[in-house]
Amino acid sequence: MSTNIRNFCIIAHIDHGKSTLADRLLQLTGTISDREMTEQVLDSMDLEREKGVTIKASAVRMMYTARDGQVYELNLIDTPGHVDFGYEVSRALAACEGALLVVDASQGIEAQTLANLYLALEADLEIIPVINKIDLPSAHPDQVADDLSNLLGVPDDQILRISAKAGLNVEEVLEYVVQHVPPPKIDPQAPLRALIFDSHYDSYKGVVAYIRVMDGEINSGDILRLMQSETDLKPIEIGIFSPGLRPVAKLSAGEVGYIATGLKTVRECRVGDTVTLASRPAEQPLPGYQKVKPMVFAGIYPVEGEDYDELKESLEKLQLNDASLVYEPETSQALNFGFRCGFLGMFHMEIIQERLEREYDLDIIVTAPSVEYEVVLRDGSLVRIDSPAQLPDEAQLVEIREPWMKIQIFTPTDFYGTVMDLVTKRRGVFIGQDYPAPNRVQLNFEIPLSELIVDFFDQLKSRTRGYASLDYQFAEYRPDDLVKLEILVNGEPVDALATIVHREDAFHRGQAVISKLKDLIPRQLFVVPIQAYAAGRVISRANVKALRKDVLAKCYGGDITRKRKLLEKQKRGKKRMKMIGSVEIPQEAFLAVLRYGDE
Amino acid sequence: MADYTSLLALRGAFSQVGGHGILSHVPPYSLYLHIPFCRHRCAYCDFNTYERLEALIPAYVQALCGELRWIDRSFGQRLPVHSLFFGGGTPSLLPVGELGSMLEAARESFELLPGAEITLEANPGTLSLEYLQGLRGLGVNRLSLGMQSAQPGELLLLERQHGYQDVLQAVQWARRAGFDNLNLDLIFGLPGQSLESWRESLEMALDLGPEHLSLYALSLEHGTPMRAWYERGLLPEPDPDLTAEMYEYASQRLAEQGFVQYEISNWARRGQDGQPLACRHNLQYWRLLPYLGFGAGAHGYALGVHTANVLAPAAYIQRMQAAGDPGAAQPRLDFPRSPANASAEQPAQREQMGEWMMMGLRLTEEGVSAQDFRQRFGQELQAVYGREIERLLRLGLLEWRDRVGERLRLSERARLLGNQVFMEFV
Ligand SMILES: Nc1nc2c(ncn2[C@@H]2O[C@H](COP(=O)(O)OP(=O)(O)OP(=O)(O)O)[C@@H](O)[C@H]2O)c(=O)[nH]1
Ligand code: SF4
Ligand SMILES: [Mg+2]
Repeated sequence: MSTNIRNFCIIAHIDHGKSTLADRLLQLTGTISDREMTEQVLDSMDLEREKGVTIKASAVRMMYTARDGQVYELNLIDTPGHVDFGYEVSRALAACEGALLVVDASQGIEAQTLANLYLALEADLEIIPVINKIDLPSAHPDQVADDLSNLLGVPDDQILRISAKAGLNVEEVLEYVVQHVPPPKIDPQAPLRALIFDSHYDSYKGVVAYIRVMDGEINSGDILRLMQSETDLKPIEIGIFSPGLRPVAKLSAGEVGYIATGLKTVRECRVGDTVTLASRPAEQPLPGYQKVKPMVFAGIYPVEGEDYDELKESLEKLQLNDASLVYEPETSQALNFGFRCGFLGMFHMEIIQERLEREYDLDIIVTAPSVEYEVVLRDGSLVRIDSPAQLPDEAQLVEIREPWMKIQIFTPTDFYGTVMDLVTKRRGVFIGQDYPAPNRVQLNFEIPLSELIVDFFDQLKSRTRGYASLDYQFAEYRPDDLVKLEILVNGEPVDALATIVHREDAFHRGQAVISKLKDLIPRQLFVVPIQAYAAGRVISRANVKALRKDVLAKCYGGDITRKRKLLEKQKRGKKRMKMIGSVEIPQEAFLAVLRYGDE
Repeated sequence: MADYTSLLALRGAFSQVGGHGILSHVPPYSLYLHIPFCRHRCAYCDFNTYERLEALIPAYVQALCGELRWIDRSFGQRLPVHSLFFGGGTPSLLPVGELGSMLEAARESFELLPGAEITLEANPGTLSLEYLQGLRGLGVNRLSLGMQSAQPGELLLLERQHGYQDVLQAVQWARRAGFDNLNLDLIFGLPGQSLESWRESLEMALDLGPEHLSLYALSLEHGTPMRAWYERGLLPEPDPDLTAEMYEYASQRLAEQGFVQYEISNWARRGQDGQPLACRHNLQYWRLLPYLGFGAGAHGYALGVHTANVLAPAAYIQRMQAAGDPGAAQPRLDFPRSPANASAEQPAQREQMGEWMMMGLRLTEEGVSAQDFRQRFGQELQAVYGREIERLLRLGLLEWRDRVGERLRLSERARLLGNQVFMEFV
């Protein structure tokens, strides 16, 4: 039977149609009835549906009767395409033998097409290129087929051309999977080894681990052992994704499924760990995953101090479902107790923030993101800081080094000039260029990460009318003339508003921040002076005027309920602000310190 | 069976004033009659009022009379009433006869106490001497005129359909008709308005010798033309600091002129008995004493229940027609509900406390009394709101009026910052 298993994932650049293709495959195989079908049905999180973007990889099992008359078990994993979620993709790859590389017929090869392709090749997967959206008037599938053929060495005419939306040629995709994706190489006699590639928390079932069984088999009732955390457990149930959780009696080598561990705390069950049998443990765990290195760091604080424990618990649970999230406790003078969190990018940070707010119903403050700096001190020691507040006194500093990145920007040649301009304005250095396709250029640069995390992607998109795409990798740490830009509110420095900037930018940035804050900090009952301070002097100052008028107009006809509701609403808004000293500061103010303003 | 509900209702009515249980202790009620018709909708107005629906007036008046009778039946006894208010909209659009029939229905259904205050809101452009004499004849004894401004440019911006001349004329006629209790409404804090032009409007209003003045800061409400102009960048936002200065100027000037400020937006001269000629009807709201609302979109409050009627006049008429005559055969509704209600809600005790504070603290002179709080809610003000009160006293937004612990009111500085105070209590 195991030779009739095919494990594959769908990878692509963002929006090229992975989830839509998954929809069609689920329908064709009858896994989901037409009645239950919605668009991008695997994007089950509210946030995913709202943003129209896949955030989490999701697995699903389908049964397919192929043209050869045999029934195949297909385990599909749909992955996200956004640059911040590469780690999500790489984990999914370890559970598969093949990957569908989807390319939009009008957009062609983009940054994450390549990035995810390289990940898949590293994981030794069979690649099946698929050109999607051929129904679009702007589609040029011949061109894209040519490009793909050059890239992969596959003949043009063997590249599938489909429309996931219109359901064109989709059956062919399943046939390709059956024919080209190798069945899992398995040893059913070997002791059980299953890789945990993802997980989530369920209040009834505890931690639910998503696994790919590599060797041996799991029967319900087996006592299992988590090899790294050295924990034994008797699962509540084992099962498959169909796409909801469906219990089964047995999971065999080569299959993808889940174990409802019943564990209530999240520490024992880590993504990347190996599951084996307690009665007959494997000798060696599977290689697991490399630890991710976060790119940006920000503080997350509860608006109300008493919510700290709840925030802590929520982060723990969220981490289960997002292995790339890292955090540790942090204290801020201004914001008290919270967590320093590491993210893979700004979009990732935004998603975490929104999930905490929605799924866990928390009111939180997120501080301005920062990169990790290396600081060389007079005594010769080197410290790493990921928050401007930790920067030692200037007198002790020899040098501050910041991370530099290699970036590749894919863009139509028309936007060559404006992309150059954007990057060089941000201290970027041009390295070289390639022409992967006619009218398209790949520009290679090096740029400080700190310049990349603020608004860069949005700027790039707006300057290229959405056509450019971007990929990046860490290059090295380099010293530069960096200073701390501090913000004083009502005479007090607010650590959570500090940033590290290039000395030449300090003046301009200081002014921009003050003028932003002046508008963002609502009027208080007294005048609030705000100042920007860097390299020993005040760069900019302004006053937030005192509130003088705040009263509801007349209550005509005695509508008291409405009046009360308006006040209640105003009160809720006030509660969401953070008290710093005696000044109320709204969430937006903490991010405002990063907005460049005019570009 | 039916009488039983009324009895319960009555018991509720007593307990509201402390549960003395003697019939004469039913607190006097106030009645609000809403007239939702205007010639032209003013540019800032978000009231429940309509243009070009005048054809509905006769049916509307009939429906409203029906509602007056209905409520009375559901209570089972004629409630004492010490104020009645025709608000709008533009009540002065209605012929004297129509107003008369509503008053008659009110008198039939309620016990209009001797000396009851009967107010009518009027638009200066819509009046004549005969009309005003007619109103006096009906027993209307207080007139509230929407003057808004004396500046032609500002009136144009507001899309008011009258000038200062009309106000002057209206006041003269009103005096001649025998009205000795006149209010003028003014609006300040208009986009582009200068302190100077506000002073002038205020002086010109004072020249007319009103007994009462209501001064409202303009707010650009959603759904109004002015809001839309502002959002499209055609109008500057009113400057809050300048608005505050206008308010402070007016407070000072009116005090000089012998007016007493008794509410955030209201000033009155003292009457012959030395008491300010405050609007009794509005005091009822601010003290959160019972009032009943009649007509489209009207709000009522009695026995802790807030009622709100359907908004559209046509829907209102339909509701009352469908309800028919409140004869014995009809299913009864619990007082104070009426067939025209779109909603009737009874907030929890804590919310009622918040409402009581938020309304009562608008009374800048008398404020709220700890004793009234105790009587009404059976708890100590300090026990419920001690922390909030402490904080607001410290911020200088509240003050004890005479003796510590008795009467709490807004400090002078807080009069324009009321929300910052009220918010703490809701
Ligand atoms: N015209 C056309 N539109 C398509 C086709 N396939 C997908 N789309 C549209 O492309 C958009 C993106 O589709 P998704 O399936 O969400 O793309 P995705 O690759 O899963 O996106 P991420 O998961 O966010 O990376 C949606 O609006 C789809 O309706 C197609 O074949 N033709
Ligand atoms: S007259 Fe009064 S109710 Fe009528 S539209 Fe003008 S402001 Fe509104
Ligand atoms: Mg997707």
